Amino acid sequence: MDPSTSRPAVVIDNGTGYTKMGFAGNVEPCFIAPTVVAVNESFITQPNRSSNKGSSSWMAQHNAGVMADLDFFIGEEAVSKSRTSSTYNLTYPIKHGQVDNWDAMERFWQQCIFNYLRCDPEDHYFLLTESPLTPPESREYTGEIMFETFNVPGLYIAVQPVLALAAGYTTSKCEMTGVVVDVGDGATHVVPVAEGYVIGSSIKSIPISGKDVTLFIQQLMRERGEHVPPEDSFEVARKVKETYCYTCADIVKEYNKHDKEPSKYIKQWRGIKPKTGAPYACDVGYERFLGPEIFFNPEIYNKEFTTPLPAVIDKCIQSAPIDTRRALYKNIVLSGGSTMFKDFQRRLQRDTKKIVDARSHPVEVNVVSHPIQRYAVWFGGSVLASTPEFFTACHTKAEYEEYGASICRTNPVFKGMY
Amino acid sequence: MILLQSHSRYLLQILTNRLQNIEKGVELDCHWVEFDDVRYHIQASIKSPNLLHLSVSLPTPPPETDFSSGLPLGAIEAIKAAYAGVVHILDPPRDGFNLTVKLNLAKLPPLEGLELILVVDLTVRIQYSIHGFTSFDFILFWNHPISAFASMIFQLSWIIPEYRESLACLAESTELNKFLGSQLFPTHPNLTFFWKLLSSSDNMTLSLLDGAEIRHALVVKIASVREVVMGAPLRVILKRVASRSVPSNAGVLVPLVHRPNESFFLVPQVEKATVVFPMRFNDSVDTVLATSFLQEFVEARRTAGLNNAPTCLWSASPPDELKDAPEQALHANAGFVSFVIYPRHVEGKKLDKTVWSLSTFHAYVNYHVKCSEGFMHTRMRRRVESLIQALDRAKPDEHANISKSYKRLSIEESRGNSHS
Repeated sequence: MDPSTSRPAVVIDNGTGYTKMGFAGNVEPCFIAPTVVAVNESFITQPNRSSNKGSSSWMAQHNAGVMADLDFFIGEEAVSKSRTSSTYNLTYPIKHGQVDNWDAMERFWQQCIFNYLRCDPEDHYFLLTESPLTPPESREYTGEIMFETFNVPGLYIAVQPVLALAAGYTTSKCEMTGVVVDVGDGATHVVPVAEGYVIGSSIKSIPISGKDVTLFIQQLMRERGEHVPPEDSFEVARKVKETYCYTCADIVKEYNKHDKEPSKYIKQWRGIKPKTGAPYACDVGYERFLGPEIFFNPEIYNKEFTTPLPAVIDKCIQSAPIDTRRALYKNIVLSGGSTMFKDFQRRLQRDTKKIVDARSHPVEVNVVSHPIQRYAVWFGGSVLASTPEFFTACHTKAEYEEYGASICRTNPVFKGMY
Repeated sequence: MILLQSHSRYLLQILTNRLQNIEKGVELDCHWVEFDDVRYHIQASIKSPNLLHLSVSLPTPPPETDFSSGLPLGAIEAIKAAYAGVVHILDPPRDGFNLTVKLNLAKLPPLEGLELILVVDLTVRIQYSIHGFTSFDFILFWNHPISAFASMIFQLSWIIPEYRESLACLAESTELNKFLGSQLFPTHPNLTFFWKLLSSSDNMTLSLLDGAEIRHALVVKIASVREVVMGAPLRVILKRVASRSVPSNAGVLVPLVHRPNESFFLVPQVEKATVVFPMRFNDSVDTVLATSFLQEFVEARRTAGLNNAPTCLWSASPPDELKDAPEQALHANAGFVSFVIYPRHVEGKKLDKTVWSLSTFHAYVNYHVKCSEGFMHTRMRRRVESLIQALDRAKPDEHANISKSYKRLSIEESRGNSHS
């Protein structure tokens, strides 16, 4: 028997904002790191020139430092490197849930495997995740990198919403039918899943995601004239979002509450200016509840897109096959970091229920949240990859060598779609 | 990243998180695997948040390697020396693991009470006075002279438990007792010894370190448990090289495990040691890349800046040193690499680094082979892009069609024309 099946599989969930990585069978990912690569640009531009000039610039490159292609950082280290030195530029390999820069992605994986998890990729099966709208080509690319560069013995590319459902599978009940509301940093998808199969035609995506919340908060703070250094303002907005934001029941009432008792609701943010090192402080006020509000009243942020998230969920379920709808309303599962705002689940449940009740059907609406929501996809992957069936569902190295990257094109949960 | 770090990143993260949130004391139960099939398992319960059970399993040893009771030679002593006090070895180990230790976080050095700390680099000086003394900066805790001496001694035993005995004997012959005033600390030899060092040492630096930093250093050391356990036999032999003593087993081949069912070989000689790695790779592409990597590696050793690096040789066939080696160890598809280690490579602080680099040499090569494959892919992708660009440029322009002097008719149009 293949000895690598006796070792736990490596589960890596690459999100637009954060990457969750770890070993199957654990309840928590080993590392949650920002999906970002800091590359030493001075080296990267060289190979372009070398293809024209030939050997002379190869020598120059060689002398510049043989190891220069290893001169990059990922995660928190990358962020801090780019702040302290100007030679490193930040690259975000994933944009809107899709891999955008494969060079950066390959480097990111390389560091994940060798520096963070410190495992030998030849020893482990791998489970990677993808968004439901990933084109088959990008799946092929992933397969190519994993099998060619890292020589993994087996690979499974899972669909994020299915994993998010699988995460709930063990915590409460055996339910593989439900709508997954996946609000990540770069993309928001509403995906109906029936008996573990994605209903591909009913997937809805909305152009509002965690990053937009950050941008909105940044905008609000700037307009109010808070003294945040401009180069730091996005990071501050992100921290404010993660620490202070919550979902309110009613905007008008919330405004009143803030105005009556500012001391209770207005928070202080303290930071240090990156350039001068001088400390500064700013107030965090209405943006605490206005940030998450863009999911429920998108018109305050975006003129083009004005459908609130609960309406999108309702539309999504209404477009699903009629015999699944009742079960779908019953199990609306939240996943992704941007669903972590306090009371997000209650607000979503109330608003969705309101829409459904207006249609005068007594239908049970249930929005499920669980404590591991932030990395529900990863946890689902960990559960899935620790079952013995997982190893038989994987694409193996032998198959790859026999048929090529096209084996990764199809995904078993989208049966009959391609 | 060029070299692999000696501490396990995840273990370090677990320990630091745990120390920061010790009062929360959450349940903990994780397992993970590192390269060369080293498995870890860590467990803690809510009841006793300070106690952690850490189990490590090592790669399956090949038949030729000497493993006493599941651990490499000298591993138990090495653990005791490195972490005396915090770590307690449990016997028998957890099922399926080679080593289980109980970590007591409550016994880590305290965070408060340390103000001024003197870091003294004594390695050179002590080299000749204490036989076998090698690594470590001495870290002295110099608070208010009298009140903190007790804690200072406590701390000292923390940092250098290995040398406690040696220190005691050395301090006997001191004239510093009078200098210090024996009425204050008449009985503590360690203390007087340090006083002597302080007053006589010329390579000491005064720096401010707080308890947190010292604690961190120890936690990092715990996270490097793999280095301590697996590097133990290598460390013992290299230490002998460093002290320039004649080994009892000079010229005898010592196999040491570094990967599942694979070992590398060490030949201790007078004032040097030869280390031979049979390099094996599974994938044919990897084998080719690794072979050329190793040839380059040997070549790179000859550049001017690396004159003091260990001599390094690569050969496709087993070198002479392996003539006594068992048959199965002599097959290596990427050849054999040998290093010659001289005392200067294992002096003082260098010992730890050398031990780590040697015991993970295969992982190092493997990592770089994978990196170069990744780098080649980057270049290939760029090449494809530039070719596609060239193709795009060669395509006839869409708008150019309009300005043509003739117009291609479709079947419908031509019919219409003929009817008219």
